[in-house]
Amino acid sequence: MSWLRQLFSHRSRYQELSEPIREHLDEKIADLMDRGMTREQAERVARREFGNVAVIEERSREVWLWPRWDSLLGDAKLALRQVSRSPGFVLVACLTLALGIGANTAIFSVVNALLLNNLPYVQPQRIGTLYARTTGSHPSDERRTIDGEQWELLRDNVPSVLSAVSAIHPAGVVLQTASHAQYLHSGRISARYFDVLGIQPALGQNFTAEDDLPNGPRVAILSYSLWRTAFGKDQHVLGQVVLLKGEPYTVVGVLPEHATTPLDADIYTDLQPSRDGEGQTTNFLATVLLRNGFTWQEANSQIERALYQSHQTLEFARSNPDEKRTYYWMPLQQAQTQTLRPQVLALMLASGLVLLIACANLAGLALVRMLRRTGEIATRMALGASRWRIQRQLWIENLLVALIGGSAGIGLGFIALRSLLKMLPEHFLPVQHVPLDGRVLAFTLLLSLLTSILFGMLPAFATNKVDLRSSIGNRSVIGTGRARLRQGLIAGEVALTVLLLAAAGLLIHTLVHLETMSPGFNPNGVITAQASLDNVRYQDPRALQTLFRESLTAMQNIPGVESAAVGLTLPYERALLDGVTLSDGKQAGDQVTTNEVFVTADYFKTLQIPLLAGRVFTNSDGPSTQHVVVINETFARKFFHEANAVGRQLENNNKNAMVVGVVADTVLSSATHLVTDAAPLTDQETIYVPYVQVDDAKLLSMVHTWIQPSWIVRSAHPGDDLTAQMQRALASVDPGLPFSGFYSMSDLQAKTLAMQRIEVALLSTMAGLALLLSAIGIFALVAHMVAERSREIGIRLALGSTVREAMIYAAKSGVIAAAAGLILGLFVCAGVLRVLQSFLYGVQVYDSATFLSVVLTIAAVSALASTIPAFRVARIDPNKALREE
Amino acid sequence: MRKKPEYRDLFPGALELMILKSLSWRSMHGYALAQRLKEISEDYLRIEEGSLYPALQRMLKVGWLETEMGLSARNRPVRVFKVTEVGKKHLEQEIASVEKMFAGITRVLALAGE
Repeated sequence: MSWLRQLFSHRSRYQELSEPIREHLDEKIADLMDRGMTREQAERVARREFGNVAVIEERSREVWLWPRWDSLLGDAKLALRQVSRSPGFVLVACLTLALGIGANTAIFSVVNALLLNNLPYVQPQRIGTLYARTTGSHPSDERRTIDGEQWELLRDNVPSVLSAVSAIHPAGVVLQTASHAQYLHSGRISARYFDVLGIQPALGQNFTAEDDLPNGPRVAILSYSLWRTAFGKDQHVLGQVVLLKGEPYTVVGVLPEHATTPLDADIYTDLQPSRDGEGQTTNFLATVLLRNGFTWQEANSQIERALYQSHQTLEFARSNPDEKRTYYWMPLQQAQTQTLRPQVLALMLASGLVLLIACANLAGLALVRMLRRTGEIATRMALGASRWRIQRQLWIENLLVALIGGSAGIGLGFIALRSLLKMLPEHFLPVQHVPLDGRVLAFTLLLSLLTSILFGMLPAFATNKVDLRSSIGNRSVIGTGRARLRQGLIAGEVALTVLLLAAAGLLIHTLVHLETMSPGFNPNGVITAQASLDNVRYQDPRALQTLFRESLTAMQNIPGVESAAVGLTLPYERALLDGVTLSDGKQAGDQVTTNEVFVTADYFKTLQIPLLAGRVFTNSDGPSTQHVVVINETFARKFFHEANAVGRQLENNNKNAMVVGVVADTVLSSATHLVTDAAPLTDQETIYVPYVQVDDAKLLSMVHTWIQPSWIVRSAHPGDDLTAQMQRALASVDPGLPFSGFYSMSDLQAKTLAMQRIEVALLSTMAGLALLLSAIGIFALVAHMVAERSREIGIRLALGSTVREAMIYAAKSGVIAAAAGLILGLFVCAGVLRVLQSFLYGVQVYDSATFLSVVLTIAAVSALASTIPAFRVARIDPNKALREE
Repeated sequence: MRKKPEYRDLFPGALELMILKSLSWRSMHGYALAQRLKEISEDYLRIEEGSLYPALQRMLKVGWLETEMGLSARNRPVRVFKVTEVGKKHLEQEIASVEKMFAGITRVLALAGE
């Protein structure tokens, strides 16, 4: 009875199934013994007449569709055994999956952090920002900035939201304490800003409506880290007066430790939003909290009423009477991630394609493996295992492989994510952390399950076609249908690879174009440093001139320095946009928008910007002499139409100025988001204005609130020593004005092109993975084909075929699959590559050079991947093949 | 000699029908049911004893049968299968439709012979 007891011992949960069977057997054995059999005989007969207990039990249980835990465990054990029996397959499969899943895990972490995780505020879903769209314009041509007048309308006429405004970016300012001067980022905000975000100060209070009034009290709220580093967590900091921008500010609050804001500043000061000064043009960013009891729709119609009805009186409408604008709220998260969203989603798509390619490869491999096991499977089916049961077994095996691959993928993904984040420049992502959190892990698990289905589906379905008799009788039957299936899989892989390679190729081409674009000046040997002039002491133009003159003299005295200058904007950076009125030429009287750069006299000499006509500024261009400007080539071509521009007049900042020179174009960051489809680097129309002739204190202080000027030094020996000497030179003139950072021109170029570099690096990685996987797929196809048909090939050789012909015959399947994939891929490219348009600069979507190199790469790689395994043909012994036949 | 047909060669539901009919006559435990089916079908049909159980499980699941504790002929405690009300109704319907089907087949055979 031991076999019975063993059978029924540890299965209490399913007792109700086994019990009747046990009773049946007990009764029967008793009956048989009554008829004179021994117990052994009776047991044997009972067992034989009953049939296979295990199979019957299993069938009984399948009725309930509730596979027993221990039967699953049994399957898993079997799977483990099966899987460990083919370590090569497992290694390749797990590695392939780990690469595919790792790439997806890393990219998804970014998607998760950027697009899925909530912002760290109390009511993140109810925080929004204002957007305006002008009818008839490009959808991406949206502005999110408002002016003082719009701010007042928003504050007073939209009851559904609690609104606040802030500066667009944190501004660089200098904090002076008794002992030292420190460079900080100041977030300039209105009252209610922290109320909107739901942040309560840890000490003190938020700004009040009185603080918002023009000429109201100047107050500051410290971030926790500044409170710690600069004030040593002084509990009595409230009410203290600090010198910020040279002005006294009273500290009224300290933020809690982990508080973050969209501005992410070190210190917050009151913006005092008004219609004058900054508020005259659109320099404010609105942030609002939807009040309880209202919906965004209601808020949208209120904002539309409030702003549109007053639209006619607004400054914008007066200057553009034909355009209609609609206003609406956009959730803050969406607004913050809008520019990155397409890139991130494109990468997610690319990594998804890589995974798909990996799955196609694995499906091919699993199919081969299944065919090798046809005999085993047929035997099991003949022994009474149901198809469902066998399929389940195969699923579990695939799942096991997928889970191993998935775990390895998490590890790889973690490493990839760390290196990706290291690659990103500071403040590149609008979030502080990119965690591998529960959602990422769940995603990876889901991905593993999904891949096991994707690559397990084909072989598992193939069991439906297993023909018992032929499988058991003749194990070398080759299904040409299945070979076709594998070829189809590989063609699909190659097609996706073509797409990824083409996309990566176009982005590489773009990056090369941008990097090799002539910058219009000589970047070698130039070191630059920025300092904030948003300082009450430099609102007087004469003080500014003194600072420039003395600091530049001190820098020119540094050994090795050839020349030094100050410029409001550097090449590769964003410039001040301003309107000038042309007084001359065909367009006389027109107001045009241009980049405007304030410079000191040696700016062109220091950067070595070529002079094309006229002259550059000299020291004789003074505050009281004729106002002059230098224009760049694009400006001259655009507004003076090839005619000699030197000597023309224009009106700038209410002053008449004469064009005295034309210089070469230099690259600038595209100035605004208003310019659609703009490259990160462009030659835009630019005028240069001598700093010495800007005598409007209000204009200077406003410009310096937004843009920090740069000291530029050209030296024979640029290096760390030089930056220290520059620092000393500035400190000798004004110890309270620290530089915010030193950059070489290549640093600045790299900063501007960071996005492109990252895109290229990531997409190229994906494309490289895809290519590798496709090569592996082709290799495996041909290798398998050679192994399977070695007898056939041997006969061909015996019948007089040369080795070369036999090799071509063997390699054909891979080459045909790759060629079909290549053609399919080109069609796919023609269909979908257009979405890349906005990522490309200086390259056409259907760039023939790129496509030619893609085609050549694929052709070379697939030829290689098909030929190498075909060399095995040479080792086939025709005599052996004949003997076997 | 020709092998006796197995139950799986019958029309679908035939085994269930036989089980229901047997149990509606008297509730029985598995072994007794197997004996009974063997007795009555001896001449026509070979039923592997074990095949009963998957069918019994199926019928328990759809609610045609239920089990209760009872005693075997040897006075051992056993699970006895009993037809439920739903099972009875199903049996009636099945018998009706099987009779109709056989009547149909018989007629076709009769006519086809002429």
